[in-house]
Amino acid sequence: MKKTERSLQELYSDDAERADAVIFGRRTDASRRGFLGGAGLAAFGAAVGGVVPFAGNLPAGLIPSALAQAPATPPASPSATPPAAAAPRGPRILEFPGKAKGLVLLGDKPLVAETPEHLLDDDTTPTEKFYIRNNGLTPDAFKDGDAWSFKIDGEVNTPLNLTLGDLKARYKAVTKRYVLECGGNGRSFFQPPARGNQWTNGGAGCAEWTGVRLRDVLKTAGLKPGAVYTGNYGADQHLSGDPTKDALSRGVPVEYALAEDALLVWGMNGQPLNDIHGGPLRLVIPGFPASVSHKWLKRIAVRDKVHDGQSMGGTSYSTTIKPMVPGGKADDANMRTMLSMPVRGIITNPANGTKLPAGTRKLALRGAAWDGHDGVSRVDVSVDFGATWQKATAAKPRNRYDWRRWAAAVSLPSDGYYEIWVRATDTRGRAQPHVAGGWNPQGYGANPMHRVAVLVG
Amino acid sequence: MRYRRSLLAMAALAAMAFCLPQARAQSAADRDPQETPEAFPDGPNREETFYFCTACHNFKLTAAQGMTREKWAETLEWMTVKHNMPKLEGEDLKKILDYLETALPPRAQGQGVWKNPFLN
Repeated sequence: MKKTERSLQELYSDDAERADAVIFGRRTDASRRGFLGGAGLAAFGAAVGGVVPFAGNLPAGLIPSALAQAPATPPASPSATPPAAAAPRGPRILEFPGKAKGLVLLGDKPLVAETPEHLLDDDTTPTEKFYIRNNGLTPDAFKDGDAWSFKIDGEVNTPLNLTLGDLKARYKAVTKRYVLECGGNGRSFFQPPARGNQWTNGGAGCAEWTGVRLRDVLKTAGLKPGAVYTGNYGADQHLSGDPTKDALSRGVPVEYALAEDALLVWGMNGQPLNDIHGGPLRLVIPGFPASVSHKWLKRIAVRDKVHDGQSMGGTSYSTTIKPMVPGGKADDANMRTMLSMPVRGIITNPANGTKLPAGTRKLALRGAAWDGHDGVSRVDVSVDFGATWQKATAAKPRNRYDWRRWAAAVSLPSDGYYEIWVRATDTRGRAQPHVAGGWNPQGYGANPMHRVAVLVG
Repeated sequence: MRYRRSLLAMAALAAMAFCLPQARAQSAADRDPQETPEAFPDGPNREETFYFCTACHNFKLTAAQGMTREKWAETLEWMTVKHNMPKLEGEDLKKILDYLETALPPRAQGQGVWKNPFLN
C-alpha cells in the first residue's frame, strides 16, 4: 500500500486499465470485458462458495462501481451518459431481469427496490412485481438446485446436514400465501427522517410460498431444553466484502420457529424460487420483519440465548421501550427488537394522481391490508380527510399471515379534488395513525394511513 | 494537501479491497448511471466523500439521509462498529463531516411527506 500516495482519481485519469491492474489485479481484454485474475478470483470464489456473480459479462467500466464512474474515465460515447449536472429528480425505476417496469430503485448497492402501491393490485403479488431487499452483496445465481445444502446445529440433539433434495423427499410440502414485509417499510413517513432506505409502503408483497414446515425439520434435529432463539445465516456476503462478516444474521424466538407457519421455501408463486428472492432455498417466517427470513439459507444455529448476529440488538430492527424525542439521541438500553410488523392498509386502485371524467360520482376502490401476527379486523375508507369513514368489504384471509384484499364504492358529491384515505385496524383494535409515531433512530414501525389524490373533471 | 488526500484514498482503498466482490454483482442492468459525484449536491470534499461511501454502498443511500453534523458523526461511528467501515479520524473525518453537514443537512420534511400530484 505504500505506493498509493496518488489519489484514486489521479490513478484512473492517467490510465484506467492500468489502475485496475494496480489496485485490483484485474485485467481487461480486447473485448472490454474484465476478469479477476488469480488470487482475486480464488479469494472471491471461496468467499461465496465458488460462485462468481455475473463474471464474464462485466464490461471493464463497471469495476468497481465507484471507480467505474470516476470523472477521469469518459463515457465511450458522448450520448451514452448525459452530463449529470443536476441532482436526480423523481424516482429511479428499477431495471432488472424478470422484474416489472415500475418498481422504484432505492439503491443498487445493496440492491433495494420497492413496489408502488398501485402495482400491488393483484390478489397474489406476481414475482415480477415483488419488492427486492438485499442487505449484502447480491450473489450470482446459484446452480446447485436440489444439491443445495444447509445445516441445523447448536442446541439440537442431532445436528443435520440436509440438501434441498432431502427436504423435498422427506417432508410434507405445503403452499401458503403470506405477506413478506421489510422491517423498514414506511420509514420515509417519519419526521424527522430516520436513517436508512426511505421506503414508502412498497416494501411488502403477498406471494404463495412452497416448502416444508421448519418445525418438522427441527423435530428431526430435536431441540435441547436450553434452545431459546434461532440464528439464521444466508450465503450472501457483507457489503464490505469481508468474508468473515455476515451480511445479516437474525433470528426468532424458538416458539415462532416451532409454530406451523414458519417455512423452508423453494417455490414462489408456483415456480422455483428465483435467485433474487433467495433461491434455491430461503426461510419465510411471517409476521416479523422479513430480515429474519433469510435468503440463500445455509445454516440455522439454534441458540441458548437471544441471537447476537449481524443486525441484532442496538437500534437495528428495534423500536423504543420508553418513547423517545423524535430525532433525539438513541439509548441502546431503551431499544427492543421488533417481533411483529404493524397493521397497514394500502389503496391499490386508483393510483395516486388519477384524473377522472367530469361528472364522475361513484368510484370503486381496491386495496390490501395486513398485519404482523394479529391479523386485520376491519378496513375503513374516507373521502373527506378522515372526517367520516365508511367500512370496506375485506376478503377472508386464507391464513393468519395472508393479507386481506378489500373493496369499497364511494360517492363523490361534486367534481374537484379528492383524497381517498384508508385505515386498517388489527384484531387487537389498533388502527393506523394519521402520522408515523414511535420515532426511533433507524425508523421501524411507521404505518400512517395511506392516501391517494384523484381529480374529477 | 496531497498527503491528506492520500490518507482518504487509502481508507477508501482499504474498504474497496474488501468490497471487490461487489464488482461482480454489478451489471449494466442494475447499475444506476446517475451515480456520479456530480449528480449530488456540490461542495468542498464531495469527491472524497463520494468515493469513501461508495466503497461499500451506493451514494443514493447517503444522499437519501439528511442529518446534523452530530448525527452524521454518530452514523459514521455506527457503520464502523457494525459494518466494518474503516475508522475515520482527524482531518479525514473532518472533511467528510464538512461535506455531509453542508450538503446533506436535516430536511424540513421527510421524503414520504404528502405531495399533491396535481401541481407541476
